[in-house]
Amino acid sequence: MAEKEKIYKCLSPVGNTEPVDIHPLAPRLDKIDGKEICFSICGEPDITIALEKELKTRYPDVNWTIKKTYGTNPVRLSEEEMKTCQGVIQGVSW
Amino acid sequence: MLLTFDDVAYMNRDTARESGTPNIRMVWASRRTPGPADVDNYIGPLLQGLTRPLTEEEKTGGTWSPENPRILFEGTLEEADKFYQQTRHIPPPLNAPLAIYTDGSAIRIPTEERVKEMLSGTSHKPDELITYQSDRVTRRTEVGGAAGASVELRKGDAVQFQPLKRTATVEQVAVNAVMAGCKPEFFPVVLAAAESGTLNGDNVMIVVSGPVVKEIGMNTGNGFLDPGNPANNTIGRAGQLMAINLGGAVPGVNRMHASMGGPFNRGGMCIAENADGLPEGWRGLNEEMGFKKNESVAMIFGPSGIQTNFGGQHSPGGYRALQKSGHGGMARRMGVKGIPGPHNFLEFHAFSLWANREGAYTFIIVPEMAHHLHDYGFKDKKDVYEWLWKKSFIPLKDYRNRSWPDLITNGWMGIEKTSGKHWKELPDDYMVPLVADPFDNCILIAGGPEEVILTLSGGRNSTAGSYPVFSVDAWR
Repeated sequence: MAEKEKIYKCLSPVGNTEPVDIHPLAPRLDKIDGKEICFSICGEPDITIALEKELKTRYPDVNWTIKKTYGTNPVRLSEEEMKTCQGVIQGVSW
Repeated sequence: MLLTFDDVAYMNRDTARESGTPNIRMVWASRRTPGPADVDNYIGPLLQGLTRPLTEEEKTGGTWSPENPRILFEGTLEEADKFYQQTRHIPPPLNAPLAIYTDGSAIRIPTEERVKEMLSGTSHKPDELITYQSDRVTRRTEVGGAAGASVELRKGDAVQFQPLKRTATVEQVAVNAVMAGCKPEFFPVVLAAAESGTLNGDNVMIVVSGPVVKEIGMNTGNGFLDPGNPANNTIGRAGQLMAINLGGAVPGVNRMHASMGGPFNRGGMCIAENADGLPEGWRGLNEEMGFKKNESVAMIFGPSGIQTNFGGQHSPGGYRALQKSGHGGMARRMGVKGIPGPHNFLEFHAFSLWANREGAYTFIIVPEMAHHLHDYGFKDKKDVYEWLWKKSFIPLKDYRNRSWPDLITNGWMGIEKTSGKHWKELPDDYMVPLVADPFDNCILIAGGPEEVILTLSGGRNSTAGSYPVFSVDAWR
């Protein structure tokens, strides 16, 4: 067999993805009024300030828990908040 | 619900899948529309996403376990050339084809035989997982953890290759080293760089220090940044291939500052320190980082890709005039007209270092200039770092008129480090350092006789957390 036609086994350079448990989305709410919803956002104030203001203005009957930071990492919910929050809006504006 | 920008949708979907929530609902904000008008556009869908009934797909759980066969392709070398060079179209805002397995240039086909030869460069077994060879702290993003949070890692912990937190074996690193064109004797350096797991920076530079530099013939002299030296070129390229293949990096998509990318990442960047050029009493990078002089290390630097400050502007002739006889513009600015050197030439450069950026610097200087600093009075590199740090202080009233401090101070809500006081309690004339720690600055010696300096914004701590330096010897 000519060298040009020789068959080679060539290896994969790709790293290994460990098996990932896929989570179904959390059940949706029947309505948002009266619910405790966490709004956790990191990034630009041009988004965070305007959105926080509008959320509270347009949806005054929602019990908003606001978590915000200028930084790149979202502020994590506490264990207690994880138990009580019925919905989460996570904002990442970078 | 996730609120983010539409141009990072591709990256967010990848991240969501890796985190086990591939169907997370997303709503897009605009990078251009002012806040209030933008909110009008997305606030409805954002809230509706909390109540709109789930689809069957959204209700579905399970396990995602992608296959990764060891043998990726069988065929002739000519066929393999085409296979490994295949591209896929990346949608806007990139809107161009990107290579799937390469950096876009032709590679050396990783046949079993070639990979086996590469593996002869280390005593580690092919199927050994890449693990940390020492305890360390890093900013690695943990599954379930906050992005960028510091975590303690123990010797033996599996390295997660960023950005997609994949793992890899010694053989898989060897495959990338073959593709980059490395020789087996370079392989321990490639493995040390692999141990970082964080080669997906916006502008990555691998710096090698210690005896291995000479052993594998790295160029630390004239033109060390130029192409031509096999070790410098191919180790740097292996770094980029590992980011793409082991980490799942898609340049222009899931890297910080993807909007432009980083010039060092085009072909990969690896340089080495010229230990022979160190003045007496100055320690090399290996010793500075806690290793012995006879130990070899690879350190991952992240000079800023776009907020960059490349090069220090002085003419070599003007520099010589300064040091020889105190003539020329440099001497006039520094107030040493007519006084022969040695002079601290960094005084000249400090004039503009922090004009429009904050943070530490990495200075690559030629041996002669290092000796000038030494003879001026800096008997230890640390003395230079301390001097630079002190030079970086500015009044708070000026510090407020910069871009990054809004972020660094969390909107001025945090505590100022040097005073321990809240930012809002400090007077306008309070002096704030623009470099967090003197040792964040770094000086490397390399280059030839001509008196030039390469000034890179970003010091030794600018990527991958607390000092991403890795033993080469551990991987021999």
